[in-house]
Amino acid sequence: MQLWAIAANTYRENIRDRVLYSIVFFAVLVLCASLVMEEITIGDQDKVVRSVALGAIRAFGSVMSIFLGIGLVYKEIEKKTVYTIVSKPIARWVFIVGKYLGLMGVILTMIALMAGLYITLMLTQQGPPALSVYESWWMLTVELGLLTAWAILFSSYSAPITAASFSIAVFVIGHLADDIWRFGLQAESEQVRQIAGILYWFLPNLSVFNVHDLAVHHLPIPFTQLVHATGYGLGYTAVVLSLAVWVFSGRDFK
Amino acid sequence: MSPASSSTAEVVLRCEGLGKVYRSGFFRIPYVGLEDLSLDVRRGEIFGFIGPNGAGKTTTIKCLMGLQAATSGKAELLGKDHRDPESKRGVGFLPERPYFYEHLTAREFLHFYGSLFGLPKAVRAARIDELLARVQLERFADVPLRAYSKGMLQRAGVAQALINDPELLVLDEPMSGLDPMGRLLIRDLIFEERRRGRTVFFSSHILADVELICDRVAILVGGRLRGLGTVRELVGDRIKHVDIATRVTAAETELPGEVIRRDGDAVILRVGPDDTDRAIDRLRASGAAILSVTPAREHLESVLLDEVQRAAPINQKRLGVLA
Ligand SMILES: Nc1ncnc2c1ncn2[C@@H]1O[C@H](COP(=O)(O)OP(=O)(O)OP(=O)(O)O)[C@@H](O)[C@H]1O
Ligand SMILES: [Mg+2]
Repeated sequence: MQLWAIAANTYRENIRDRVLYSIVFFAVLVLCASLVMEEITIGDQDKVVRSVALGAIRAFGSVMSIFLGIGLVYKEIEKKTVYTIVSKPIARWVFIVGKYLGLMGVILTMIALMAGLYITLMLTQQGPPALSVYESWWMLTVELGLLTAWAILFSSYSAPITAASFSIAVFVIGHLADDIWRFGLQAESEQVRQIAGILYWFLPNLSVFNVHDLAVHHLPIPFTQLVHATGYGLGYTAVVLSLAVWVFSGRDFK
Repeated sequence: MSPASSSTAEVVLRCEGLGKVYRSGFFRIPYVGLEDLSLDVRRGEIFGFIGPNGAGKTTTIKCLMGLQAATSGKAELLGKDHRDPESKRGVGFLPERPYFYEHLTAREFLHFYGSLFGLPKAVRAARIDELLARVQLERFADVPLRAYSKGMLQRAGVAQALINDPELLVLDEPMSGLDPMGRLLIRDLIFEERRRGRTVFFSSHILADVELICDRVAILVGGRLRGLGTVRELVGDRIKHVDIATRVTAAETELPGEVIRRDGDAVILRVGPDDTDRAIDRLRASGAAILSVTPAREHLESVLLDEVQRAAPINQKRLGVLA
């Protein structure tokens, strides 16, 4: 009940935020613009449109995760709204997890909105999307769940600018993880190899969620990859959220 | 009298050697915000917490409410360790200069806080209507808090502190930012809560109110407890001085006391409590009319000022006391 109350309030707060609408507005704009490309591109037009539109959904989802996530806890501390929450009979983990679930609700709503728009566009232009497109959205949701957890972790001990830099770093490194690994293994120096190994095991490997090409080409996604990525994402998210709870529990509010 | 007058009444708020050392800046320089505070607040009391700016009142309250971790000592709320979230179930809290979710209306905000206590919707709805009426915000119930004035926010804050019908109310400067009607409203509300057997612990700078409504008062200066007792115990029955209003004759040149106001032949004289009789005799002998004689008692204010003066050397040691 408390968890639900905090999640619901977070959801409502973000849904009422004008910033969200500008993100939605641009997302809709880009999705519609991808239709225009149908007219001007030559070659495999259908795939180009799908690639741009699916890419846009991923990009807007990531932007939303990071930029809503980094302010989530910090804003409560800065605006002192946390005073009247923490002083109620509520464990601190309930607060963090509640905020997290509320924001995930917002992100899910937005993905659903964009997905709905995508499906409508496809039905009018190309025909129904393949199963792998839907699966790619599931992977995106798991990925954004992990990214949001990182953003909350940073948000519970640093100001938005710092938290944004860290979150973006996690995002970039996360997507380069496979490259870091490959590059690191080929390195001459033993130290570089070790550092690459540590980075590979500690930082999230967001490339496991990347099924963009398969979805664009309407190719099936191996079931094991789906299961593996989902397990990895949920497990990792739980660890990062626990860290956020731990950091938040030790905090003094000025 | 209130149950508070018996010292056997149940303790609802207890601090034992509570202390907070802040460490700030790169070098983590220690600063004592609160030192070894021990006090008991009993059920049914109105307990005032006073002290100059920076005395540590808010620090104490934040430690009690779990917003900051005390660095020493312990505390109990309603018989439970204050670090246990469950100890807050029967407590209502109003922070200093409260801020709330601006995107919510007062009604939504109170529903949200009520649900944090696990109150069913119907209970919340009924209580919210009653509370909004009590703090006189009914007309603004459906206006977002973003559009509230400072005093309105303060009232909304008081309403949220009462949402769980608390046994113990902890209020940090509940009268600040309020107009005279608002102050009166809070005063009545505190009385009303006591009448219902509730306990109120509040900090304030408005000593006249504290003097008027508190059963007991603690004086905090420089992070230390410098006085604790009923207003009467702290202030004493001592008469500070006596003001004599008189109408003097034109011939009168030397008056038997300090003239604190003169308006034509109407004069107000201030004399020491032991000089009153003599001064009146002399005035009457010279043909002056005595209009009124008003004894001035000591006020909490002068007790506080005395304590601040006496604490001055201690205060200087506060910075880097652990170094
Ligand atoms: N987060 C903090 N870091 C360092 N010092 C702090 C912090 N919070 C408070 N202090 C110091 O602790 C002392 C007590 O502050 P506190 O806010 O408790 O005072 P107060 O009695 O509530 O004063 P006021 O009447 O102005 O509200 C002050 O000297 C303040 O500078
Ligand atoms: Mg204060």
